[in-house]
Amino acid sequence: MEAHHVSNLLVALLLLGAAATGRALWRNRLWREALTELWRRRRLSLLTIALFISVGLLDSVAWIGGEVAGEDLLASHEARSVIDRLFLKPAEGSYSAPFATHTFYNKQPLVAPAGHPFGTDILGRDVFHRTLKGVRVALLIGGFTSLIAIPLALLLGIRAGYFGGRFDDMVFFVMSTLASIPSLLLLIALILVLGRGTWQVCVALGITSWVGLCRVTRGETLKLRELDYIQAAKALGVSNGRILLRHILPNLMHLVIVTFVLLFSQLVLSEATLAYLGIGVDGSWGQMIDQARTELSREPVIYWNIAAAGAAMFTLLLAVNYVGDALRDILDPRTLREDA
Amino acid sequence: MNRGNLACCACALLLLAGCSNNPYPDADSATRTYYTTFVEAHRTLDPAEAYNVSAHKVTGLVYDTLLEYHYLKRPYTLIPGLATEVPVAEPLADGGVRYRFRLREGAGYGDDPCFERGGKGRRSREVVAEDIAYQLQRLADPALQVQVREPFSRIVGFRDFMTALEARRRADPAFAALPARLQYQQLGGIPGLRVPGRYELEVRLSEPYPQLLYWFAMEFSTPVPWEAVEYYDARPGRARFADHPVGAGAFQVVEYQKQSRVVLERNPNWYGYRHPDAPAARYPSEGAPGDAALGLLDPAYRGRPVPFVDRIEIRLDKEDIPRFGKFLQGYYDVSKIIKESFDQVVQSDRLTPEMEALGVRLQKAVSPSVFYLGFNMADKAVGAAAGARGRKLRQAMSLAVDSARFIELFLNGRGVEAQAPLPPVLAGYPEGYRNPYRQVDLERARRLLGEAGYPEGIDPQTGKPLRLSFDTYATSSQVLLQREFFVNEWRKIGIDVEIANTTYNEFQAKLERGAYQLYFYGWSADYPDPENFLFLLTCDMRRIPHNGPNSANFCDARYDRLFAQMEVMPNGPERNAIIEEMLAILREERPWIELFHRIDYSLAHEWISNLKPFGMSHPMYKYYDVDPKRRAELRAARNRPVVWPAWALLGVAVLGVAPGVRTFFRNRQ
Repeated sequence: MEAHHVSNLLVALLLLGAAATGRALWRNRLWREALTELWRRRRLSLLTIALFISVGLLDSVAWIGGEVAGEDLLASHEARSVIDRLFLKPAEGSYSAPFATHTFYNKQPLVAPAGHPFGTDILGRDVFHRTLKGVRVALLIGGFTSLIAIPLALLLGIRAGYFGGRFDDMVFFVMSTLASIPSLLLLIALILVLGRGTWQVCVALGITSWVGLCRVTRGETLKLRELDYIQAAKALGVSNGRILLRHILPNLMHLVIVTFVLLFSQLVLSEATLAYLGIGVDGSWGQMIDQARTELSREPVIYWNIAAAGAAMFTLLLAVNYVGDALRDILDPRTLREDA
Repeated sequence: MNRGNLACCACALLLLAGCSNNPYPDADSATRTYYTTFVEAHRTLDPAEAYNVSAHKVTGLVYDTLLEYHYLKRPYTLIPGLATEVPVAEPLADGGVRYRFRLREGAGYGDDPCFERGGKGRRSREVVAEDIAYQLQRLADPALQVQVREPFSRIVGFRDFMTALEARRRADPAFAALPARLQYQQLGGIPGLRVPGRYELEVRLSEPYPQLLYWFAMEFSTPVPWEAVEYYDARPGRARFADHPVGAGAFQVVEYQKQSRVVLERNPNWYGYRHPDAPAARYPSEGAPGDAALGLLDPAYRGRPVPFVDRIEIRLDKEDIPRFGKFLQGYYDVSKIIKESFDQVVQSDRLTPEMEALGVRLQKAVSPSVFYLGFNMADKAVGAAAGARGRKLRQAMSLAVDSARFIELFLNGRGVEAQAPLPPVLAGYPEGYRNPYRQVDLERARRLLGEAGYPEGIDPQTGKPLRLSFDTYATSSQVLLQREFFVNEWRKIGIDVEIANTTYNEFQAKLERGAYQLYFYGWSADYPDPENFLFLLTCDMRRIPHNGPNSANFCDARYDRLFAQMEVMPNGPERNAIIEEMLAILREERPWIELFHRIDYSLAHEWISNLKPFGMSHPMYKYYDVDPKRRAELRAARNRPVVWPAWALLGVAVLGVAPGVRTFFRNRQ
C-alpha cells in the first residue's frame, strides 16, 4: 500500500471517528450545553479552525492521475491532493509580487498574470499554494505531537499523584531532569539521534513537551485524591482503577484540553524555531520563513513569503488560543457550576 | 532613584561629547594602512599546515616564496621571488628531473626575538637555502598536519624520509625528544634535496612534474627559520609557532590577536630593499590587455619599488551585514558584495547611482573554480556499470539542467556557465568552447532518456518514474532550495530525484561506502594549471578505494593515458590538443554536469589604487596603495554623528522624570 492510500484511509477513519465522537458528545447533555456555549462565544475562531482543518484534510486526500501543469512529466505519476489540483498553473520564472503581471526582477510576463494572490517564491512556485500546504504540516505537528505528549503526561501524572511513593519520586526526578535541560538543546540532540523527518521532529517535540502537563496533572491529582467524594468511594471499596477513570480523569479534562490548546500553539512555534536551525519539517511554515529570511534585507524587499507564512501561522494560533481560552472557562467544573 | 536618573543623563551627555564610530585609534588615520578583514579565527599560521583563505591572508604576506605570480598577467605567469630566476627542469638519466634554485643574497627575516640565539641583540638573520630544505623536511614530518604532501612526495626520498622519521621516533625515545631539526639532520635529510652552497638548492624529482613550480609559489615551500620553530614551540606558555609567524616576506606581524585582529608592518630586512630590480620587488610595467584602461598601469606606479603601504590591519569580522556596513562607512578598504545587499549595490550588472556617488569601484574576475553535479560512476543505475544506458541517462540529465537560470536565481548573475571542468581563465582552455550536452534541450534529453531504456522517465522494472537520490548535506533551508531547483529541472524529463539530506558526517560516510548517486560539489584551483582540475577525474584519485577527491569514481583508461601525457608537458598547442581530447571524453561520458565558474565581484573605495582581483588566495597587498588623506576626509564626511535622536531621548527622559522630581520636593516640604 502506498503512502497516499494510507493517508486517504487515515482521513476516512479520522472523519468517522470525529462523527462518532461528535454524536456521543451531542447525546450527553452537559457536553451539548458546553459546545453550544462555545459556539455562542467563539463563532469566528471556530469557523477559522474548521477552515484550517478542512484545508488540511483536503490536502491529505490524494490520488494519481488527472490534469497536469506545464512541463512537469513527473506530476502525472504522483499522488496529488485536492489542494494541489487547484493549482495547475506551471511555475513562473522566479519571484513575482502578489497579483503582479510580470516577474519581480527581470520583468518577464507571467504564465498566470495577476493569478498569484500571495506572489511566487524564488523558484516561481505559488506562495498561496505553499501556504495552504503548510496547514497540513502544522496540524500534523501539533496534533501528532500532542497525541504523544498528552497520554504520556496523563498516565505518569495521575499514577504519580494518586499512588505517590517510589513511582512518584521517579517520575518527579525524570520531570525535573528534563525541565532543567534547555529544551532547544534537547531537541537538537534528539533530532541528531533520530534523524530528520516529520515523525522524528514530532517524537522529539513530544519528548520535550510532556513535562508541563505532567506536573499539573500530578498536582491536581494530589489535591483531588484527598477530597471527600474520593475518600467516600475508597471507603465504599471502589477499585483504584474505577476511581481514576470515573472521578479523577473527568475532573482533569479541563486541564487536558487547555494544555492541549496551549501545547498545540507552542509546538507549531517550536517547529518554526527548529526550521530556523535547519532541522525542521519539510514544507512547514517555519521552513518557508527560514527560506525567506534573507529576502527581507533585499532591496526592494520581498515580503510576501514571510508575510504569507507568518499570517497563516498567526491566524491559526490566535484562533486556537481563543477557543482554548473559552473552553477553559466553560469546562472548569467550578465555573460551570457558577454559571448554572 | 531620581539621583540615579540624573547620573544617567550626565553619562549620556559625556558620551555624546566624544561621539565617533571609528573602530581604529585616531592616530592611525594618517598612516598608509590597508584595512581588510578575515571571517574566521585562524587555527594555525604555520606555513606547512595553514590551508585556507583566512590564514593565507597572513601567511601570504609574512612568508615569501621562491617564485611568485605576475600581478597583472593572465593566464597566470610565474616570476622569480626569493629565487633569482624561474628554474628549468633538467632531465636526469634515471628518468627523474632536477630543478636548481638560486636564492637572492641578503634577504632577511622579519625582526623577532627568536634570533637572539645567534648572538645577543640580534633580531634577524639572512635567508639561506638550508631554511627551505628545512621547511620541505617539515612537510614530510608526520607530526604536522600537512594537507599538501602528495605533490611534494615526488621529491626523491620524501616518503621514505617520512616513514623513517616515524619509525625512528617510535623506536627511540631519546631521538624523539630532540628538536625536530636535529632529528631531520640525524636521518640525513631528504636525499632529493641538496644544498650545494649557501644560496643554492637542488630539488630532484623521481618523475617529471612541471606543476612543482606552482607549489614553489605557495607558502608551503617558504624558507622557515628553525630558530623560530624551536623558540616558540620549545616552551609551553609561549605563543606557539603556529600563532607567531616569522618569515622573509615584505611584511611582519607586529600584533596578533587571534579573536580580533592582525597588524602587519613592513619587514625592514625584506630582500626587495636590497634588490630593487627583482621582478617581484617592483610594480609590473606590463599587464593583461585591458589593464591600462582600468588604471592598473598608472605611470606613477609602473616599475616603482613595492610595497606602497606601510601597514596592514586585518580584522576579524564574522557577520556579513556589519562587515559590509563598515565598508560603506569607509573603515574597510575593499569588500565582497553580500547577497542581501546585492540589489542595492549592483543593478543590471552596473553599480547603482548611490554606490557611484560614494566613489566605489566594482571589479569582477572569473575565479579559477568550478561547481558541478557529480554522478557516482560506481553506482548501478547511473554509473559505468549501466554501460551505454547509463551514459545516455547522464547525457539526458545534463541536457535538462539550465545553469544560466541557476546563476541568475541563486548567484545574482555572478557566474559563468560552465562548459567543461576547466575554468576559462586557464591556459589550455579551448577558446569559445561549447559543450553540446550543456545546452538546455529537453527534446533531446527526452529522446536520449528513451534510448537509455526509460521512455518518458519510466523505469521498466518498476513501471514507475526512475527514482534517483541526490545526496546532500545542506543545513539551511536556503541551500535546500538550491537543491530543489535541480530536482525541478529533472522533473521536466520525468525523473524522480529525491533529496537525501543528511549531516556532513553522514554524507562523508556515504561517500566512503559509495552509497550515493548524485552530489553537488565545487573545486577551487590550488594553482592555475589544467592538471589541477583534470586530475579530479583520474582513476588514482577515485573515492573508492583510494579515498581521493574523485567522488564521481570516474575511471577511463584512455583519459588516464592522456592525463599522464598532459601532466608532464609544458603549455603549448600540443598540450592543448591533448586537453581537448580529454574534454571530449568527459563530454560524452558525463561524470559531471558542470554548472558554473564563480565570478568574484569586489568593491573598492576610491582612495585605494592598483587593485586587481587575483582569483586565488594569495594576498597581493604589496602592490596596493592608499591615499590616507582622502580616506580620512571621506570617512569624516560619511560618519557625521546623528545627534538629534539622543537629544530627543534625553528630552523624553527629562519629561518623564520631571513630575517625579516635583512630587519628591513637594513631599519633602
